[in-house]
Amino acid sequence: MSGSLIIQQPGNSVVTDLGRFRGPRFGLPVNGALDQFSARAANILAANADNAPLLEITALDFRMRATTDLLIAVTGAPLTLTVGGRECPQWEPVSVRAGETVAVRGITGGLRAYLAVHGSVEAPALLGSSAPDTVVGFGLRLSEDTELKTSRSVGPIRQPYFDLPLFRLGLTRPEYSSRAVIDVTDGPDVDEFGDTAELLFNTEYTVSARSNHIGLRLGGALPERQTSAEVLSRGVPVGAIEVPSREELLVLHRGRGVTAGYPVLAVVTSRSLDTLAQARPGHTITFRKTTVPEATAKHRAAIRELENLRSRVSTVFALLGIGKEPGWPELIPAAGS
Amino acid sequence: MAATPNPTPVEIFESGDSALRVVASSADTEANWSSVHSLAQWLETAGADGVHGAVPTYDSLLVEFDPGVTSARQVRAFVLLGLRQLEHTGAPARTPREFSVPVVYGGEYGPDLARVAEHEQLTVEEIISLHTAKSYVIRCLGAPAGSPMMDGPDFPLPVPRLKDPRLSVPAGAVAVAGRQAVIAPAVAPGGWCVIGQTPLTVLDAASEPLVPYLPGDLLTFRQIQPEEFADYEGRKLEAAR
Repeated sequence: MSGSLIIQQPGNSVVTDLGRFRGPRFGLPVNGALDQFSARAANILAANADNAPLLEITALDFRMRATTDLLIAVTGAPLTLTVGGRECPQWEPVSVRAGETVAVRGITGGLRAYLAVHGSVEAPALLGSSAPDTVVGFGLRLSEDTELKTSRSVGPIRQPYFDLPLFRLGLTRPEYSSRAVIDVTDGPDVDEFGDTAELLFNTEYTVSARSNHIGLRLGGALPERQTSAEVLSRGVPVGAIEVPSREELLVLHRGRGVTAGYPVLAVVTSRSLDTLAQARPGHTITFRKTTVPEATAKHRAAIRELENLRSRVSTVFALLGIGKEPGWPELIPAAGS
Repeated sequence: MAATPNPTPVEIFESGDSALRVVASSADTEANWSSVHSLAQWLETAGADGVHGAVPTYDSLLVEFDPGVTSARQVRAFVLLGLRQLEHTGAPARTPREFSVPVVYGGEYGPDLARVAEHEQLTVEEIISLHTAKSYVIRCLGAPAGSPMMDGPDFPLPVPRLKDPRLSVPAGAVAVAGRQAVIAPAVAPGGWCVIGQTPLTVLDAASEPLVPYLPGDLLTFRQIQPEEFADYEGRKLEAAR
């Protein structure tokens, strides 16, 4: 049985996924969820594929109404989640009944929240991805009364013991801070900055309000290029740190133009790109140097944690009959309890 | 099966935990371009788990990968394998396709045409005639959105970029900057000098591939009159052969 929901207050929300990985070879940015860990976690908690389309809610309050019974999970920046007026936990699966309103309010500690619905949501795809691309004008930006279809509806799961949380799947949540420490590796052009490259590690930078999904702009002491040779346009990675002006440091994120002609001073690690996705204007950033093998190890540790979460979710959901035939109306207390 | 007697020297640089930059570093720019594009083609065809793809430009190639599946070390080995194979087999030959692009020059379609003429100390007609004279090789697909990046027309001087980039340049804008030429496939901000506009649709987000050309294809411009613009509107850019 399929499900559906209607957006009541869109705030600033889109349908996205992990990104358009086939885009860069055609000159399109990868885009996709800026905080990849939170997006994957939301989908896993909703028993979806990691890369299934889900909602990315940026900064502003959001409300939707379930028109069928749904199972959802909300991750990302700390916030207040209510379903039918009841406060519900983030980073856990949440059962929503037909007619109930889901509200996300007070995204303050970070910037972006992810809302996955079991069975995912239907969205158009470009090169195999639903991720919005603002340059090409592709993507599903949510507005009031947008109706989203899901491939499944899940009957309400009732907790027989009132005060106990329904699920407790035990994922270690990322830390959110207004003073983030960001890991970077040396960029391929670090030598062009001479001794001034060290400034990156001795400076507190402030996130500018002009930051977006294309890149974060950071104010602070700027390393300076020591040569003025012309650079031919070339592919730049997500996470590249450039110094395009005398005013700000530019840290490219997933919406970055694929090619550019600025030297790459350093590159933010995959894990720290998730942290940057949650940095708000005014937050303080400091950089810490790491190596590619260390960055890879940290990324893999996070992926392992998500894989463990997936196996716990499948065990619990198999017991509840979720993801198989719909229609388990409630949990039955164990015999003798 | 032409074996390459002197393979182009290549350097590989770390670019974070999810990408490598490969740079061809010979003195021959044509050989550099050709080797990074052959390598991109080889990587694409061979395919490897966790390798998302490659972005070749002029003398450089960005190879992107998923560090959860593979690693910089493994991808480096994959790139070196590709380079060795290409040394033996030579680059795969692909017959370039040719595209003919109708352009209305000047006026509202090319607001910077007069400025470019003045800078080059040429007449507007001479600028148009130089721009339409050449068959351009599409060097790479650039930002934004699959722009065909080409070596520029044979103007006497490099064309300076606009001091104040436009916040919005229309799709189809035909522009020049430095020693380069381009067509804008989509509406985007831009600092290049716009000398004309093609009525053809270059980028079609509903089709795959999104843009009809590949690096290595050839492109020529031909002048049409403003009153012909509407006749071409809605038509897609397609290869002449």
